[in-house]
Formats: sequence, C-alpha cells, structure tokens
Amino acid sequence: MSSNIVIDPVTRIEGHLRVEMKPTEVQTATGSWTIVDKAYCIGTMFRGIETILRGRDPRDAWFITQRICGVCPAPHGETSIQAIEAAFDVKPTPVTVLIRNILHGAYYIYDHIIHTYLLIGPELGILAKYLPMVPPALGKEGIEKLNLGSSYAQALEIQRKANEIVALWGGKFPHHQTEYPGGMTVRPTADRIASTLARMTELWSWVAKVMVRDFRSLLTANERIGEAVSTLLDIEFRGLQDLGTSTGNFLSYGLFPDHENYGDWLSLLDSPGKRESALIHAGAWDGSAKSFDLEKIAEFVKYSWYKNESGLNPKHETTPIPDKTKVEAYSWLKAPRYDNKVYEVGPLARMINTFGMKWKIPIRNPVTEEDLGYFEYGVLNPKGSVIDRVAARVALTLLIANKMFEWISELKGYMGEKVTNYRKNVKEGEGFGLWEAPRGALLHYIKIKNYKIENYQAVVPSTWNFGPRDDFGQPGPVETALEGTWLPRDVSVPEVCNIIYPEKDIDLSPIGVNEKMSWGDVLKPALEQLNLGRVNMEPVNGSEYNTSLALTVIRSFDPCIACAVHVLRKR
Amino acid sequence: MESLRLTRRNFMKLVSAMGASAFLTTYKADIVKAITEARDYWHIAWLNGGACTGCTISFAQASNPDLLQVLTEITVGNSGLPIVLPDYMETIHIASGTLAEGLKEKWKHGNKGKRILVVEGAVQDPGYCIIAGKDFRDHVVEAAEVADAIVAVGQCATFGGIPAAKPNPTNAKGLSEFLKEVGINKTVINLPLCPVNGEHVVITLAAVIMGAIPELDEYGRPKMFFGTNMHYELCPYRPYYDKGQFIEVPGEGEGCKYKIGCKGPITWTDCPSRKWNGNTSYCVEAGAPCIGCSEPGWPDEFSPFYNEVPSLVSAVVDPTKLGTGIFAATITGIGVHAARRTLKGGKGGEEDEQ
Repeated sequence: MSSNIVIDPVTRIEGHLRVEMKPTEVQTATGSWTIVDKAYCIGTMFRGIETILRGRDPRDAWFITQRICGVCPAPHGETSIQAIEAAFDVKPTPVTVLIRNILHGAYYIYDHIIHTYLLIGPELGILAKYLPMVPPALGKEGIEKLNLGSSYAQALEIQRKANEIVALWGGKFPHHQTEYPGGMTVRPTADRIASTLARMTELWSWVAKVMVRDFRSLLTANERIGEAVSTLLDIEFRGLQDLGTSTGNFLSYGLFPDHENYGDWLSLLDSPGKRESALIHAGAWDGSAKSFDLEKIAEFVKYSWYKNESGLNPKHETTPIPDKTKVEAYSWLKAPRYDNKVYEVGPLARMINTFGMKWKIPIRNPVTEEDLGYFEYGVLNPKGSVIDRVAARVALTLLIANKMFEWISELKGYMGEKVTNYRKNVKEGEGFGLWEAPRGALLHYIKIKNYKIENYQAVVPSTWNFGPRDDFGQPGPVETALEGTWLPRDVSVPEVCNIIYPEKDIDLSPIGVNEKMSWGDVLKPALEQLNLGRVNMEPVNGSEYNTSLALTVIRSFDPCIACAVHVLRKR
Repeated sequence: MESLRLTRRNFMKLVSAMGASAFLTTYKADIVKAITEARDYWHIAWLNGGACTGCTISFAQASNPDLLQVLTEITVGNSGLPIVLPDYMETIHIASGTLAEGLKEKWKHGNKGKRILVVEGAVQDPGYCIIAGKDFRDHVVEAAEVADAIVAVGQCATFGGIPAAKPNPTNAKGLSEFLKEVGINKTVINLPLCPVNGEHVVITLAAVIMGAIPELDEYGRPKMFFGTNMHYELCPYRPYYDKGQFIEVPGEGEGCKYKIGCKGPITWTDCPSRKWNGNTSYCVEAGAPCIGCSEPGWPDEFSPFYNEVPSLVSAVVDPTKLGTGIFAATITGIGVHAARRTLKGGKGGEEDEQ
C-alpha cells in the first residue's frame, strides 16, 4: 500500500486515527484529477476497558466507562447507569430524569459547539471564506479588527459556560460524579436552578444569534464552492452536500426521555419502538421512519482481526479473540450492522429519525420571549453529507437550548421530592443501556453475577461509522463516504482558496495593509507565520496531495477513536 | 488595593496561601505580563498516549487566563507568536499527518528557546499506541531526552490511572515510572486528578516559564496543589462528620458523604478550595463522594467507589503509602465498628447485597 495517501495522525478528533486512501485518476474535459478509490480507517491505541471492568462492583461501571472517552464521558456514564438500572430492576425518579436531562443537555451544547468550531470548523471557515470561523491566526488584533476567528474565539469561551452547568449538577466536567443507579446524589436547590438559568440565557443567545448566523453563512458560500469545483473539475458537484455521502440508512436510539413517561423510554429494551415521548426519537430510517428493534443489531468480524463468531448480538458476544493471521482482515474495528445493512449514526441520524427530511425549529427564548423566527432546513442529500451533518449539529444545539428552559422550569415543581430509588446492589442481573453520544448511537450491556460484573460490552458510535466491510462485503459508512473525494494534487490550501475565490476583495486596511487581497493570498502568510504553510498536504511519490476535503469528510462524522478501539487488542 | 507583586520567589507561597482560584484571579495580569516578558521562547509539545483526551478538554475549561488568552494574547516578547500555542497537540492543532509530525520534529531539534513536554495518558507496552507508525514509547523517549521541563497531566500520565487498573491489560504505567525504566533521569511534575484540573496546568506552565520550580511531594505532585488533606484540612462539610451526621442514601438528606464512600480522608488535593469549571463546584459539593483520583493506587485501592474507607483493606494495611499521620487520626475518628470490621480482614462489598 506504499502508493496510498496516508493521514496519521488525523488531528482535531478524539483519539488516535490513521486513514489510508488508495487514489485513482479520473479524466474529464478539464484534466486529470486524483480522487479516493478506497479508504481504510485504522484505530491505533488500545486500553482494554471492558477487561478492566470485569469482577468490579457494578456501580463502579458508570465511573470507569466515562474514562473510555474524555470528550464524550457524560454519554458513556449515562448509558452505563441505564444498563445498571436495567440490571438492578430500578427506575429513576421523575426528578432524576429532569436533572439528567439538564446535565446532559448542557453537555450536548458544549460538545456540538466544540465540534462545529474547533474540530471541523477551521476547514469549513477556510473553504467558505468565512472569517469568523477561521482560527484566530492574527491573535487578538485579528479578531477585533478583521473578525478573523471571532466565532472560533467566542466558541472557546461559551463552551465553558455549558460545562459550568454540567459542574453545577455533576460536580465537575469532564467526568461528572453525581449519578447513582435509580437516582442522583445531587438535589435541586434554588441556587443551582438560578445559576443554571443565568448561564443558559447567555448560551441560548449565542446559539440563536451566532451559531445559527454562522451556519447560514456557510450555506450561502456552499453554492459558490459547488460552482467553482464543478467548473474546475468538469463534474456535477453542487457543494458540500455532494461531499461525504453515505448509505442513506440512519440509526438512532433516542435522547432525553419524558420524565413523566419513563415507561415509554424503557419499553425499547423489551420491544421494537420509537421512544416518541422523548425529545429525540429512536428509529431505523431507511427512506422512511421505522421502529428500532434491539434484536436486529449484530457485529460482524469477517474483515476484523478476530477469531470470534461473526454476526452476533452484543448480548451473545464474548471477549474478542485476536487473530492477526486472518488473511482477509484489515481492521481492529468490528462492523456493527442493523438488520444486516449499513447504518450511519450521529446528529443527522437523530434529526432524520425525529423530524424526517424537513426541520423547523423555533428560535424563541421561552423565558425572555425573544423571538427570532425559525431555523428551517431541508436535508440537501438524503444519503447524508458534510453540510447535512453540520446542519444537524446546529439544529440539535438550538433544539436542546430551547428545551433546557422547560426542563429547568419543570424541575422547580419537584423541589424537596425524593431523588433516588435506592438499591445497593443485586446478586444477579443483566441489562442494556441505549442512549446517544453526540457522535451517535451508544449501547452498553452489563451482566452481573454474585454482585460483580461478569461481562460488559459497549457498541459505540465510531465503530458504527468507522468500521470495516462486513461479511456481505458492504463497506462501512465512512469508507463509503470517502470514496470519490477529490485530493487536489500539488495544490495547497491557499491555492485552492484562490481557485474558488479569485477576486481581490479582502480589505486589510484595519490592520494597516492598504491593499485588497484575495482569500488565498491573505491565508498564505498567516499560515506560514505559524509554520502551517503546508497544512493538510501529504507527500506521496514526489507529489503532495491536499487532504482538506478528505479530512472534512472524516471530521463530519466526529470520530471518537478511544471509544471505537476500547475493545481492541494489540497489533 | 495594591496586591503584592508576583515574583519567581513568592509564586509558590502565594498559590499555597491563596488557593489556585484566588491566586489566578488576583495575579492574572502579572502572570500574563511575566510570561510575555520571558526571555526565552518556551515551546510546548503536548503528547497523548493511552488517554481519553479528558485532560485536553479540561485544559480548555481553565479560566484566568483561559485557553483563548493563552492562544491569542500571551505572545513571546516581540515575536507576535502565542507563547504557549503548543507546537504539537493532537486534539486542537490545525496541522494533521505529516505536517503535525514535522512540527514535533522541529520542536525537538529547534535551537531557539526552551522546551516543555506535556504528556497526557499512560505509557503502555509496545504495540498498544502507535502514532504516525511509531510507538508512543519512542515518541516519549525522544521528546523527554530534549525537554527542559516535563509535566505529566492527569491520573493516567502520573500514576497509570484507569488503563493501569487490574488486570492492567496493556501494562500501562505513569510517565515517571516509565522514564526511570528507560534510564531518563529527569524530574516529572505530576499533576494527577481525573481529569487534570485546567488551572493546575496553567499555573504550572506559568511557574515553569517564570523559573519558579514547584516544590514536589514524594509522588512528584506540587505541594501547592496536593499538600492538603481533602477531608481533614479542607472539607466544608467536616462539621457534619464531627457531629456524626451522615448521608446514608445518595441524594437524601444533609450530611457528610463518608458513608456513601467519600475518599476525602485518604485524598490529598485542593478540590474543595479551587473547585472545577471556573470555580463552579466540585464532586462533594454536588452531593457525590470523592473517589480519590489524585492518589497513586487509584482506582483499585479506592474502589468500590461507594464503599466506606475502612472497608478498603489495602488502604488500611498500608497507611504510609497514602500519606501521613493524618490518616491514622482520621481512622480513629471514624468509629470502632468500622475499624474492627476492616482489621478483621472483612472485604467491603461482599456483604452489600440487599
């Protein structure tokens, strides 16, 4: 695979990821272009968390599984606590459900903001010639005088407010500390509620005004990107909706149960359903909304370095037995499938399973009644794409920010009520937890014997998205999404920018440069000053390939590799 | 009111006396100024090994000065470059792949300024963590050899943390233990907790840059952060303990969290005074037990997390390992019943069924 184009490490994700892409050349009327023929995703770090869990007190699992991932610890904790509750046969109280919704709601706002601005944002800002989302390469002066990095900088500040809410209800973030099977250790107090409201007011304003505005700016620029690339390559390319397309199947387990109807939430563990009383529904979309059926999940290992039986439900799976000699294998990830088909998980899957292909979310503050209309969006590519995934994160952030006020106000009615349905431990039991991490559907399974954990399994979002081919030969969602991605040969990031935006219209007079410049010419010295002139360029056989678009596809799935390889074995 | 001017010599004293949060609020401007005036350009490489990235995220929660200031305002002398923009940091850096690794090489071989190496995550046996085709162990050795200061952030990098928990499937260990094994004899400043506290990182980097080398305890932890006992010296709920008023069921009633497993008595950290997420709260304030994540031997010697301290046999058998006479005094105060159960070798947790 020596002629492969390799990105290692893929940065601005969680964990250690290597991506290898086999290139191919396509000829069009305008020239010869390099695109991705086949892609391979390889996780490169393993710790063995499930092995560590065995033999421990079941109530410790939710602490330890948070440490699977420090970017999405809260969802791992929540999924784990729900699995423990199922095994303990104990239900959380309504006040617990409300507190958890508030804690995890704030967590989601943080996570989607961090991803949108710090992780995938830099490439989007540069591609869209949208200065507020480009990292603040000229420091404070650039932010103040040119708006260069203004949203990026605000995102860094505002995400802290969201995590302060997590800390109010969880003690700290990352790795909150206050859940307990059947309840919480934290109680609602007037002070906590007031502190939460104050921070939410600030967060809501920022999401409603800055985040929504920034996304609309990206959408406007998107058309321009489509036109420029179509003309240059002489292909049909509408924009970022034709980048990173997957299978069109979307899986969601649902999020944020109704505190007064937790029975609906739990029924999914026993029979197929949609969790329609929750803010985000469960479902298995394959062109239309279908109920989700836990029994239809299976993990395949034909192309993974394991000897284990292929195609089992997590409940029947055992410890992975590594087999590095397996000829057809190429990945440490398994290939989870639903009903034997490839499903994408993540924010877009959540939105589509809940609202279908057209979304309309009010931008109205329920407390201040500030009304800014609606965030309306129609999915641009039913198979999923970079822009649709970004849109889904923005939509969810707004949706959750709206809902936070309702939960806080409901919580006031439960002051002084019993928080925890206490149960210390059980001799035997087993249970599933089904929740969503920001990057997608998250499943934990626990089996308890003699008051200790006998077996623990986690099927995580990045395994769904980044897994290899399955026993039927179907490539995983990201492998599919990378195929056909353009890898500009010997064209640097600033040069690509000059191709899309040749006009000299950037006014630099506020920083004392009295000459209008083109976008690429502005970026070039700014990047070079930070030693970033060759950003995203990967050398192979004497050429340099620009991997910006490939990285954007990869990051649009918000990979979390510590999660995906937590079950893996040594190479 | 004019506060005392911050210098290299009074830095540690002031942090200890004021607590990390108050110190940062009071001396923020001095720190920014001092760093900006530092003669040498300090280059930082932040490496991730067997980690969950929680420490990076926690660093992003620091305030006063916050990460944004660090990236945009605190520049080196007249170079205009951010002083602590890490030359290498996987989770936030703009560069990927070849360029990212090239910047790491440049950090190693540059001939201007000094180098700080920050390590997040445990060091594992060969083959468990490979970055750009090279084992993390080799990345660490090469970087440590040229580093002028080394900071280990979080439980995993300091003491092995969760990856090193039984049965330690990858033989994970902390950075200082690993460096000793490979014959690199350099001081490692250990900043445990799970994750590291962002403000501990900021203060430590500032201290190093100003030339105020922190005084360390026997586990390599700065005494200014980890020199006080959580329960005995700092806990605001201590009066409940003294009165014998305990929370027995999580989330119910007011009282000391000792009986729902609080590990405060065997934990040395400034959590109660410095708190988390911009001084917002900390575990015990939110009703949860402390789980002891600042200590060597965590998590195995501190779990089951909801079990009372005396039921943790390892803790009682080897009190010296966990600190000082405070421990013995605390245990006496807990009551004869619990102590007797432990000394007879009862294993906490076995009798916990309903």
